[in-house]
Amino acid sequence: MIKFENVTKIYPGMSSPAVDNLSFTVPTGEICTIVGPSGCGKTTAMKLVNRLIDATDGAIHVLDERDEMSNVLEMDPIQLRRSIGYIIQQIGLFPHRTILENIGTVPQLLDWDEARIRHRAEELVTMMNMPVDFLERYPHELSGGQRQRIGVARGMATDPPVMLMDEPFGAIDPINRNILQNEFLRLQQEIKKTILFVTHDIDEAIKMGDKICILNVGGLLEQYDSPANILAYPANEFVEDFVGADRALKRLNLVRVEEVMNSRPPLLQATQDVKQAVGFMTEKKIRFAYVVDAAQTLKGYVRVKDLKGKTGWVEEYLEPAATSIQLTTNLKDALSEMLVVDYANVCVVDGQNRVRGLIDTKMIHESVIESNAVAEGEEV
Amino acid sequence: MATDLARTQRQNGFWREMLNGWMSILTEPNLDAFRAQKTRADPLKTVLGVGLLGLVLGLWALAIKPAALVTGMGTEAALVELMRMIFFAETDFFILSLLIFFIARGFGGIGSFSQQSYLLSLVIVPLGMIITAFLFVGEKLGLTLTAVLDPLSPVGVVGVVVILLALYGFLLLLFALQAAHEMKSSAVFYTLGAPFLAWGIFRVASMFIVGEENVITTQWFFIAEQWTKGTAQELLMGHLWLVAFSVSIAIVLGVTIGVFITWPARKPKLSHLSILIPLVLFLLLWAASSGLLGEGMADQIMSTAKDWSRSLKRIDNLYFGPLLEIVAAIIAKPAAVGMIIAVFIVILYALFLAGEVASDLTLYIAGIILTIPSVALFGAMIKPLGIGPFNAAFALILYAQLPILRNTYTGIKAVMPEIIEAGRGMGMTEGQLLLKVKLPMAVPVIMTGVRVSIVMLIGIASIAAYIGNDTLGRYIFEGIYRAQEKRYYAGAILVAILALAVDYFLGWLQDRLTPEGLKGRREAA
Ligand SMILES: Nc1ncnc2c1ncn2[C@@H]1O[C@H](COP(=O)(O)OP(=O)(O)OP(=O)(O)O)[C@@H](O)[C@H]1O
Ligand SMILES: [Mg+2]
Repeated sequence: MIKFENVTKIYPGMSSPAVDNLSFTVPTGEICTIVGPSGCGKTTAMKLVNRLIDATDGAIHVLDERDEMSNVLEMDPIQLRRSIGYIIQQIGLFPHRTILENIGTVPQLLDWDEARIRHRAEELVTMMNMPVDFLERYPHELSGGQRQRIGVARGMATDPPVMLMDEPFGAIDPINRNILQNEFLRLQQEIKKTILFVTHDIDEAIKMGDKICILNVGGLLEQYDSPANILAYPANEFVEDFVGADRALKRLNLVRVEEVMNSRPPLLQATQDVKQAVGFMTEKKIRFAYVVDAAQTLKGYVRVKDLKGKTGWVEEYLEPAATSIQLTTNLKDALSEMLVVDYANVCVVDGQNRVRGLIDTKMIHESVIESNAVAEGEEV
Repeated sequence: MATDLARTQRQNGFWREMLNGWMSILTEPNLDAFRAQKTRADPLKTVLGVGLLGLVLGLWALAIKPAALVTGMGTEAALVELMRMIFFAETDFFILSLLIFFIARGFGGIGSFSQQSYLLSLVIVPLGMIITAFLFVGEKLGLTLTAVLDPLSPVGVVGVVVILLALYGFLLLLFALQAAHEMKSSAVFYTLGAPFLAWGIFRVASMFIVGEENVITTQWFFIAEQWTKGTAQELLMGHLWLVAFSVSIAIVLGVTIGVFITWPARKPKLSHLSILIPLVLFLLLWAASSGLLGEGMADQIMSTAKDWSRSLKRIDNLYFGPLLEIVAAIIAKPAAVGMIIAVFIVILYALFLAGEVASDLTLYIAGIILTIPSVALFGAMIKPLGIGPFNAAFALILYAQLPILRNTYTGIKAVMPEIIEAGRGMGMTEGQLLLKVKLPMAVPVIMTGVRVSIVMLIGIASIAAYIGNDTLGRYIFEGIYRAQEKRYYAGAILVAILALAVDYFLGWLQDRLTPEGLKGRREAA
């Protein structure tokens, strides 16, 4: 848990505060994204937690190793920083140290023995989907995305319960950022850290945050709430502008395919007789159907017009499916995928490529209408 | 193409064509001019051109023969002489061209022998004739080797022109070879350089075999003689130890100061009082040995210091002797030692407190120290420090400061702020940040400064011979006093070789000390 209580920071010689009377609480195990226009004090707010900057007024409490809330201003800053994971926008890997030594920075400061450091580092690079022999490399021998992963790994080296991440995926192209975001979200399901995550990108804030803290210039808190609530009920004009006119569309980010899909789709078995299959499709009034094997694994699809008047097995007329969507994909990504391949409906599969459901554009549309109705209804 | 060529030849005539070739090369000295000429390569033109040069050379040879001989020579004999010169010119040229051709092939050249010979002749023939003409004029004015070497004498100017023409010719030959063989320019350079180098080695070797007396051999024999006597080694070790001793102290001092002036100003703390202990100790040493605490005490300290110093000096060792001598000279002056160290403690503490605030001033002062002529600094220090190693080491330490502390300062300042912030944010103390991040990352820059200072000190240490130090500079000063050319050349040559060798070694060391991760980054950048 991280708790801000009326925190104000005025830089020496400045007349106006960089962070102004900020109060909010990040529950344990959740990600809170801090978002706002450039210069609004996001970084400042974050650095107040590990005391790279000291607050002028107010108090910040974090859960310490004895599971008690303690005021950071009363803790030794060096001890405090070693107990909080810290990941900065520019990554800041030490170029003269190997990846192993980079990841081992804090463990080394805490006097871990070498074997333990190596073990932990191997664990982390594996967790970050990288081969273990990367540990012997130097930062300049990695790609930007790999470096960013190592930066995150370094911040998690001692498995700190609290982490501060300042635009951790900022220095990277959109495609890789998306990949890293998804990887990190998956990871967070397991590690359940309490994270303060700074970003200037509202989409990232919505995607990554369990809670969003929207700041305005001068370090003013405009709204602190869950992404769904912020999109549905922007507190004021500033928030409304900031989240953008497409906030209805953005809400698609928050809903996962499994929540709206048809989980009992009409499917054909690969070993079914063609006549029987045509009968099935006519009955269901569909022009094509996805085909699975005995283990429910997706094999492809068949079209009625290809099967009419033919004999044999369904698998002889299979066409490969151009795409399928994972259960945890959000609606926005699913929609974009469907637009790309120009399919009216797409199979939803789990990690083993087993068909779990079917989703079409109508379902997505309905979900939007539904959440709009809820929002309107409650607002009035 | 071929018919084209034939037509132009018919139109212009053979000799006209050849003259055009020469003119195009001389007026447009570039690769493309040679490439254009390549298509007009013709063995006949080559042979005739070289023959023409031989004729001119022959005429020149006849012209400079003592008048009596020429008049005494019949027309027939003169013709034989001319034929001989033409023959030699042809054979020399083609043998040389063949040699170059084989070397060029070795370097991956692709041109034909006839093309290469033609392009070479385009340079050698016209330039050879022009140079001969100049030499003829020079000879008439009484050209001798010493006169050539003196650019101010009228003949010297002719000599200078000839030398310049020869250099120009060498450049053109490079173009000719490159056009003929389409090789990399470095390969072209080696192709032409290899015969010259071989010739140089052969020439120097023959000097020694024949026992010819000239700058190189005299120098060699003089140094060899000094070496067998053992004086050269002694001076060399003295030189090295003086530099090594001074540089070791200078590095500690310079890096410390360099680090101090990178951090924010600090407030004095009670715990800082601990520096009072060494400070008072050294002030006491100074006061006691300079008689402020009673003559008896001073005498006692001085005699102990002299005893220690003497027993150190008694150890006679070729390798460590000079070092012991430096230490002995320093021990012998306890008052100066106490005073200097006390002053340095105060300066360092002041810089420790002031930090960055003092950076400009510190760098400025270190810069000013560097501008003081070494002889003046040695001289100024004679009064407090006497002559000998103490004085020399003190001056050398001061001189070494600027490169070392400036590079430490810039090296640390150049560490990217995000790297420092990452370290600090992960809980490094300021000390750990300095030792684990800033200094390792600044090592390459600091080492460059150390390298510069060491090479500089090797030079200045020669001057230290002026105040009685046993360094290689002694040869230089003795040479000047005794007007012995070979002596000061020997000193200069040995100092230069020492500086080059040490610099090479330091380059290797720098490479070793640079953290692996920083090397690749430099290559990638
Ligand atoms: N060391 C400092 N001294 C004085 N003012 C500062 C200092 N650091 C930041 N500021 C000011 O405080 C305000 C907030 O800065 P901060 O770095 O927290 O912004 P930010 O929200 O992280 O912006 P960005 O998205 O551009 O990173 C800015 O107006 C900045 O100019
Ligand atoms: Mg910022």
